[in-house]
Amino acid sequence: MVRKASEYQSDVWNDWCPGCGDFGIVAAMYRAFSELDLPPEKTVIVSGIGCSGKTPHFVNVNGVHTLHGRAIPFATGIKLANPDLTVIVNGGDGDLLGIGAGHFVALGRRNIDLTIILHDNTVYGLTKGQASPTLKRGLRPKSLPKPNIQDAVNPISLALASGFTFIARGYSMMTEHLKELIKKAIQHKGAALIDVLQPCVTYDNIHTVEYYKKRVYKLEDTGWNPIVEKIEERDDKIIKAWMKSQEYDEKIPIGVFYQDPHTPTFEERIKERIPSYHVTPPARQKIEREGKPIIDEEVFRKVFSYYIVKTE
Amino acid sequence: MFNRLSIIIGGPQGAGLETSAQILTYSLAYLKYGVISDREYFSNIKGRHSYVHFLISSQELPTSLTYPVQLVAALDHETIFTHFDALQEKGVLVYDVWAEEKTLDTTPSMEEDLKNRLREKFNKFGIDGSIKSLVKHISENNRIHLVPLNYSEIVNEIAKKLTLSASQAARYVSSIIIGAVAGLLNLKKKAIEYSLIRRFHDRPELVEQNKSIIESVYNIISAEHGPILELAPSSLNNEELMIVSGNDIVSMAKIVGGVRFQSYYPITPAADESFTIESYERLEVDGSKIGSVIVLQTEDEIAAITSAIGAALTGVRASTSTSGPGFSLMVEGLGWAGMNETPLVITYYQRGGPSTGLPTRGSQSDLLFTIYASHGEFPRIVLASGDHMEAFYDTIEAFNLAEKYQTPVIHLLDKFLANSITTLPLPSLSDIEISRGLMTNEAEDKYRRFNLSTPLSPRAFIGSSKIMWYTGDEHNEFGHIDEDPENRESMYRKRMEKLKIADEEIPENKRLKYYGPEDAEVLLVGWGFVKGVALDALKILANHGIKTAYLHLRMFSPFPSKTTQEILRRFNKSKIIAVEHNYLSQAAKVILLNTGIKITKEIVKYTGRPIYLNELVDGVSRILRGEDRVVLKYGP
Repeated sequence: MVRKASEYQSDVWNDWCPGCGDFGIVAAMYRAFSELDLPPEKTVIVSGIGCSGKTPHFVNVNGVHTLHGRAIPFATGIKLANPDLTVIVNGGDGDLLGIGAGHFVALGRRNIDLTIILHDNTVYGLTKGQASPTLKRGLRPKSLPKPNIQDAVNPISLALASGFTFIARGYSMMTEHLKELIKKAIQHKGAALIDVLQPCVTYDNIHTVEYYKKRVYKLEDTGWNPIVEKIEERDDKIIKAWMKSQEYDEKIPIGVFYQDPHTPTFEERIKERIPSYHVTPPARQKIEREGKPIIDEEVFRKVFSYYIVKTE
Repeated sequence: MFNRLSIIIGGPQGAGLETSAQILTYSLAYLKYGVISDREYFSNIKGRHSYVHFLISSQELPTSLTYPVQLVAALDHETIFTHFDALQEKGVLVYDVWAEEKTLDTTPSMEEDLKNRLREKFNKFGIDGSIKSLVKHISENNRIHLVPLNYSEIVNEIAKKLTLSASQAARYVSSIIIGAVAGLLNLKKKAIEYSLIRRFHDRPELVEQNKSIIESVYNIISAEHGPILELAPSSLNNEELMIVSGNDIVSMAKIVGGVRFQSYYPITPAADESFTIESYERLEVDGSKIGSVIVLQTEDEIAAITSAIGAALTGVRASTSTSGPGFSLMVEGLGWAGMNETPLVITYYQRGGPSTGLPTRGSQSDLLFTIYASHGEFPRIVLASGDHMEAFYDTIEAFNLAEKYQTPVIHLLDKFLANSITTLPLPSLSDIEISRGLMTNEAEDKYRRFNLSTPLSPRAFIGSSKIMWYTGDEHNEFGHIDEDPENRESMYRKRMEKLKIADEEIPENKRLKYYGPEDAEVLLVGWGFVKGVALDALKILANHGIKTAYLHLRMFSPFPSKTTQEILRRFNKSKIIAVEHNYLSQAAKVILLNTGIKITKEIVKYTGRPIYLNELVDGVSRILRGEDRVVLKYGP
């Protein structure tokens, strides 16, 4: 019996603003989890700080609500210690691309099998609408005292430059489409980013439902093939995806921009060095025998022979 | 013949000095001598002055270093300038005759401060300041035995003999030091050969080439000088000895203690520990697997601590290793671990601060920082090790305490320990326990990670059959955000009470140790690397008729208040002396806070160099003559 989407909804009352784009994201997650039938005890949602940071509390799987900007390294430790877990990061644009941008880049370099759902609403909602790293220069949502004088970072381009192997954009009001992206991202082996456009109904009067409705179109409707079918076409696909990622004004593409199934995941790289890694990852190792270390004095001598001098 | 010898070997960083020190240490250990050595170096890869300061004993495994020294073996002229006045009368100086024309002006790598002090000295000596004039002066005035060798001639001859190019042969210059020391100390040649094979086992040509150069120097010394620093045969009877740095012993202990995830960002003097653990990432003995460790080099220290916390949430023994600047970045993560009752071990090698400070020199100036770091209040355990063996057992205990009390543990060490290499008997493993703390056996559907019925809620791990939540916000029993005042009070108290439980359960005599006679009249109070030198000082002071004891503090949170108070009360206030590697006497401040007793006498050192036995004994005498504060600064 497949678990119903409603089974993934926790009994914690959701305190996001009525109409918040985050509701679409969490709804898409419930449905994606259900369709993939993810076992709640083997699934973990890791989040940062801000409105999106509360996501784990609303979902009936393991939840780790961490520090501002640090969801990715927390998730990295969880995943590497126990690679059997499905680990999904939910973070805001300020969280993942501002204070935590270094970790975002590092995740691309490692290609750990994590799914990153970026709640992209161009403002810091929970602190009353300051400009986030995805707000374009010159724009002034109603919460800002003056127009923004910093340029925006493009999440898709940055993910490409960093080495993410699954890069997509979704829109929170198109939950069916977003659900499919989430499923694909989870099923992808490697670092997956979904940049989710999401109106902040309280502080951002620019990026509204109306705004996106006029602009958003689906890449798949244009015959876009994001997949690196053969390794040789990787550079070409990266360049095409990068060009596509620059399209962000009158028209905004959503869907999968790029997917590379060839680059080994970090877990596979570890396995190259530690062949038993998948069978006995850190979380499945026994480290004591009846309360004693598994390394006794005899084993100690063998393991650390490099340091031991037998005297004359 | 000598039962104890202090020697210095020095040369430019990157010239092979460390390997020479290693070969000498292996050889001495092979011959059953006890050795401790401290490596002093700049934050530099090549060219700046570095040296290794040894104490070698035929009667014990030494724990401290002292001045003056009996031998300085100099790879270059800067070593002579820097260390000539560390030589005892009739001491021996080994140097390169080619250095004789060098002066301070032709030594650009030296810092101006030392040059200026030397210029003054040379004026007083009435010499022109060339190496030639200096060695003549110390030979005439301090009866220093000079061993001038022609380094390039020695190297060229070997090059000819082994048909090596000049540049290949030049790489062996540092072996001249080994040959000279071995000849002067009359070390058996087979001990050197044993060490070379050990060091270069996979490269037999290196064994042969090094051996040739060492033997040729050894023979010159024997023929022209004789074994003037001959070591007495060892009276130790260890059949085996470990040769380990502080970084090494902590790595070994983590592996024994069951670490399965270690994260780090490169920083001196902590990074070597992670490198060593990584070299043991696959734990296999005789073809059978015992386990594996993931060592993750992260993008910064924030990721280091937070990824280790993530691993710990899955039930893995996880740790990170760092120094001051790294810990400064980790502080927010530390608070999260405290709030979420996560077992986590932070191995903290103190170096000279603030800011970048003295990145390659030691200090004990972060005690107060570690006790109070991070906003808000939460329990933490802070323990500090005084020597290599303590560091071994403490590292394992740190994991036990972290899991038992479900809270971060900060294990304080310092650069002195990290980089000092010592001979050590093998640790006894039979008494070591691995205790993983309380685990849940609840069959309940809804697991309460922060069950309020007891301060120590039984644990389950992410990935087990339970579902759980964690948050840095104040939370309810399930781990969901909860700002209710009643819940806040209960949850806050639950966390804080763990420290009280730890305080009740961890015997105070494991948190401090009193060394010396019960009827001592003087009490030294210290922690960390002060231990070795303090214990040696007790013996010397006893010989001078001053009955002295040493109170060694090993845990600062929870602090062993009762026993500390009892011990301090036995002494006259003017005879209690704090000995620390910092400005503020930080441990004395912690004592004041916990016991109300103010220590008014202090001996401190914050130059980044270790406290030497000679200066500590002198410092105690000065305090007993009425001084309140003695600031030590010996050592280049």
